[in-house]
Amino acid sequence: MSNDQKTEEIKDTVGRVEDTPPASFKLLRRFAESPPEFVLIFALLVLGTIFWQGSPYFLTVLNVRNLLMSVAVLGLMAVPGTFLLISGNFDLSVASTAALSAVTVAMTATDHGAFIGILAALGLGLAVGAINGFLSMYCGIASIIVTLGTMQAIRGVARMSSGGQSHRMNKEIDFITDRVGGIPVQIIIFLVVCLIGIFVARYTQFGRSIFAIGSNPAAARLAGIREKPSLFIMFCLSGLLAALGGLVLASQLNAANPNTATGLELQAVAAILLGGASLKGGRGTMQGTMLGLLILGVLQNGLTLLSISSFWRDIATGTVLIAAVGLDQVRLRLGGAE
Amino acid sequence: MNDKTPEFKTFKLKASGLRKSFGGIEVLHGVDITVNGGEVLALLGENGAGKSTAIKILAGDYSRDAGKIEINDQEVQISNPRDSSSLGIKVIYQEFSDAPDLTVAENLVLGSWPKKSSGIVDWRKMQTMAVKNLQTLGVDIDPKTIVDTLGVAQRQVLEITRALAGEAKLLILDEPTSALTTEESDALFELILKLREQGVAIIYITHRLDELERIADRILVFRDGDLVAEGNKEEFDRNDIVTAMVGHALEEKSEKTSDSKVFGTPVLTMKDASSQNHFSQINLDVHEKEIVSLFGRIGCGSLEITSTIFGLQKLDSGSVTINDRKGPPNSPRDAIANYQIGYVPVDRKTQGLLPILTLSENLSVASWPWLTKIGILSRTLVAKVFDKWSPVLDIRAKKGGSQLVETLSGGNQQKVMLGRWLDRKSKLLVMAEPTRGVDVGARAEIYRVLRNFANQGMAVLVASSDIEEVTRISDTIYVLSRGEVVSKYKASEVTQAQLIREAGEDIKTPIA
Repeated sequence: MSNDQKTEEIKDTVGRVEDTPPASFKLLRRFAESPPEFVLIFALLVLGTIFWQGSPYFLTVLNVRNLLMSVAVLGLMAVPGTFLLISGNFDLSVASTAALSAVTVAMTATDHGAFIGILAALGLGLAVGAINGFLSMYCGIASIIVTLGTMQAIRGVARMSSGGQSHRMNKEIDFITDRVGGIPVQIIIFLVVCLIGIFVARYTQFGRSIFAIGSNPAAARLAGIREKPSLFIMFCLSGLLAALGGLVLASQLNAANPNTATGLELQAVAAILLGGASLKGGRGTMQGTMLGLLILGVLQNGLTLLSISSFWRDIATGTVLIAAVGLDQVRLRLGGAE
Repeated sequence: MNDKTPEFKTFKLKASGLRKSFGGIEVLHGVDITVNGGEVLALLGENGAGKSTAIKILAGDYSRDAGKIEINDQEVQISNPRDSSSLGIKVIYQEFSDAPDLTVAENLVLGSWPKKSSGIVDWRKMQTMAVKNLQTLGVDIDPKTIVDTLGVAQRQVLEITRALAGEAKLLILDEPTSALTTEESDALFELILKLREQGVAIIYITHRLDELERIADRILVFRDGDLVAEGNKEEFDRNDIVTAMVGHALEEKSEKTSDSKVFGTPVLTMKDASSQNHFSQINLDVHEKEIVSLFGRIGCGSLEITSTIFGLQKLDSGSVTINDRKGPPNSPRDAIANYQIGYVPVDRKTQGLLPILTLSENLSVASWPWLTKIGILSRTLVAKVFDKWSPVLDIRAKKGGSQLVETLSGGNQQKVMLGRWLDRKSKLLVMAEPTRGVDVGARAEIYRVLRNFANQGMAVLVASSDIEEVTRISDTIYVLSRGEVVSKYKASEVTQAQLIREAGEDIKTPIA
């Protein structure tokens, strides 16, 4: 029975591996046990080194400022997005909401002043978030479907209300792109939102509840956690921050176009996934998302500095996303085999 | 299927010396199982006796550590489920393995769809095949039905039909009647007897002693990983079987605090409580300082009673009063906050633990509202919860409170589940199968903690199918069968044998 022998052999090998791991396994095991952020920091350092070697401008203050500005809007979407994805939910309507917000502020601020304009834009964002939250939490429609729908619908509203045209502004909300102590306000907003995000995720009952829900919804319910209200609030915040992103966009261009920010919702999801979250929920960290954002930003920025065509930039971004998530899966599988 | 009968009749499976260990502990100590075509072999034993381990070895789900398996005197290699299936061994587990969104017909050909010469799925042929397969077994199910809309009994029959469509020579059924009504069980028995006539070998795992008389030809009894009794049905009477299942510890009394214990005021009172298909006319009292067990086989309704008390199910009639409030609660949150109930669910993996949170967070989650000021959850208070309970419960975690719960042993995880409600100061603790998958040492500690907190005034209600556990921890025992209370005992005045006999009896069709 050669079959028998084969099985015995396999068993033997497995047995030995368990007893004394050879040197090559030790390295793999260390990789498996490392926190997910380690891989990201490593990737960031490698990319940084390459671009620093490739371009003298990469590490200048001016360029770092540009880099942060380029991920600021994305970051405003990715922070609440991380909470939602951890809980197993999506908000795909954020880019459309940003466009609606930008168009709204451009059209109202010129007549009624910046304050009214901003209030209207943020209010609309909050309303979109509330609709998303209500439909996905209290009407039992999966959030990916709800927000896929509102993504289309809100884009339509933005185009309709603007007549499909760009609207110029007279620098009413320029203070968002102004600098305070050399740092543009939009970067400050981005960093503050990130810090609040990390704080909420780690130190508040609200944040921990969302992690608990994502971790195991049935168990969270049995432990007395209110699933629906928590997530409803998170959808509202997602809409509000997307609208804030729209204000930043309008300020950057001193104008608003209803087609602005197209595709940003998927980039936000990409950054979150890059940061180690799982599409199925239950896994992810705010720090991971920050690193994911930075990697996407560095990649775009560095390749631009090396004057590589935008087509190649897109290809590189896609490849990095797949490679990073793939590597994380390998890491998890190695860890799970323990 | 009848034309294959001669081949079936000669079928003989002989497994000998099967051994299996998990994590260094041997759970199967070299058992022999022989089954022939055309007979029904009943496999009996208490929880943890090794029945399912043995079956999973035959099914290829587990690899055996020692022993050999022969079919018709030829040694065969079973190292995965596919090997087992291609040898004609089919197992019907309690969980269904069908595709609920597809039709009955498609489920019958899943994986090997009939195709036309062009490679396109032949729906018409699928239909005729399904009709034929169902008719052979005399099953009355429309092949066009979506599986999800079938009842439990029909799905079970479908599973069996599926197994036979793939030419089963040995059919293994794992407690098939646990979720069936009397009528449905009768229909299943008829089907089993028909298959026996056709020459199929059948291994039938059951807890219900009354079923043996109707369908078993031979009986095997497992206890603690050993084969302890074997023979033709006629050689056994019911007491012999119970004695074999329970072993010599049969009449042993448990360590009770005292027989003439005084309990406090009633915390939980159920009056004529009924819930459609799950339980009916339940009358139940749990007092302060009292540990009450609901003992019964899987499917006896005790789990549904506990989940109703915790606000997960509605009551159709009757009443529940908990801590002087009319119940049942509307939701778990309501149960925790307004009725002061704690609930340890039957499956801590899927219903209890929060895997990405830390040990201290898992321990404190029910008390979070108390540890929070202006929305901020105090990390020091959360850490203190661990410091407070880890010595009481003897939770062993290498990295302390910041360790992830997933990396703890089953026993330690269960202590976390228990600690969650101790910290919440629950007045009524409801536990479903409190020590499932928990090692012996941790089990003793959990019992000790339960007793301690009961002595301090907590009321405890336990739903359990583990006879050792029930007799060891309870003050009062209710025996349940098919959703009804069969009897109620003070733990000190009843024997394990008596409890097992009563839980195994079908009260709707009592056998003299």
